[in-house]
Amino acid sequence: MFKYQFRWDTVWGSFDFLMGGLQMTLVVSAATLVLAMIGGLIIALLDMSRFRVLRWIGISIGEVVRNTPILVQLLWVYYVLPIVFSIRIEALVALIIGLALYQAAFISEVYRSGIQSVPKGHVEAAQVLGLSPLQSFRRIVLPQAIRMTLPPLASNFVQLIKFSSLGAVISVSEITRRGMELSASNFRPLETFTFIAVVYFLICWPLAMAIRLWERRLQAR
Amino acid sequence: MSGTPIILADAVTKRFGTHQVLTLVSLPVMERDVVCVVGPSGSGKTTLLRCFALLELPSEGRILMEGTPISTAEPDRQIKSAARAVRSEIGMVFQHFNLWPHMSVLENLIEAPLRVKKMRRDQAVAMAEALLAKVDLSDKRDAYPVRLSGGQQQRVAIARALAMSPKVLLFDEATSALDPELRREVLIVMRQLAQEGMTMLVVTHEMGFARHVGTRTVFMDRGEIVEEAPGAAFFDAPKTERLKRFLQQFEE
Repeated sequence: MFKYQFRWDTVWGSFDFLMGGLQMTLVVSAATLVLAMIGGLIIALLDMSRFRVLRWIGISIGEVVRNTPILVQLLWVYYVLPIVFSIRIEALVALIIGLALYQAAFISEVYRSGIQSVPKGHVEAAQVLGLSPLQSFRRIVLPQAIRMTLPPLASNFVQLIKFSSLGAVISVSEITRRGMELSASNFRPLETFTFIAVVYFLICWPLAMAIRLWERRLQAR
Repeated sequence: MSGTPIILADAVTKRFGTHQVLTLVSLPVMERDVVCVVGPSGSGKTTLLRCFALLELPSEGRILMEGTPISTAEPDRQIKSAARAVRSEIGMVFQHFNLWPHMSVLENLIEAPLRVKKMRRDQAVAMAEALLAKVDLSDKRDAYPVRLSGGQQQRVAIARALAMSPKVLLFDEATSALDPELRREVLIVMRQLAQEGMTMLVVTHEMGFARHVGTRTVFMDRGEIVEEAPGAAFFDAPKTERLKRFLQQFEE
């Protein structure tokens, strides 16, 4: 019923080409994660600020980003930002900025729940012993909050590996884009995109599993 | 009883929103006093203790330490700096221990001496080891709190409070979260401290401790001090109906 002559050699023939794309995928994901962690911290600090205007800005960024599609955000960064600021933005830079902004909005929540997961009693104990608010944050709250945020941050990295495939739309030469280019020349979309899907899976699945184990171990403590 | 109280609640009233939790509570704690505070839940005992610990501000009235105001409804600069100066001289032991889980027992003990008192590390460690020996937990020096039983955690928490050499130690239902068989080991440590002359304010449900170790017991109900008496007199000759009824619950 399904007579199809598989021609995997068309994929193996371009293995290096596709792996070059994978390298780009991982570089984009890592760079975006770093940027998103910094952006997330800024948004979290805005959210928790004493000043209403800053809180309002932080909350607005989060709401806008969480309630519009990421693809639209990417297109917006790539096509609209250059017009507004009359600058040229490389596709790669646009991809990293767009993804980082999106992910920062989620990571800010990760930070916030990490900080809030530290029981109030631990802070009160520090207060009664005479530690200053800054000392108590640095020595008691932060170390515990960071432990809680590491697994979610790793999950964000997995998400970024997948989201970075959207770079294909703005012609960033990551693995999905290279697959599109390859299948346009070898006319073998089945082999090409199946291979690419397997590559994503082989990277994301073990990571996701490891993170799940890690989270379970943290919760057991 | 003469001289200036170590700590004193002076006509303290505390409201949360419209809910009045404490009404004009005055309570002095003299040096070497072991004042036990008993009463039904919701009577304001814990709130009073938290006012002494500077974790809550009174809505009206003052907290004084050795005659110096350290807390009022709206503390001015002078009171705030007085509070900062004596903050670590008021130790507190919590119902749920509140040990820092990311630090070992030893690290829990030396954290405040190192950061607040700027003690030298070797000095702080030596002191912490001595305190651990005192609460009979020398072998747990490098363990993390999760590995300890509730009774052991609470004894570490007591040692941690003692590491700041407080002038008064506040206990907030320190044994309430523990299984009966673990309470004893904590009560033994508390009794030992009392015998060594530590000034203590103990919110508790342990009537045996109040009777035999407390120098004075205070009965609180609905945010007020209803009755107080030294040692056994509190239990043997209650004056008010409310206290009589309260004590009857413990007779069965």
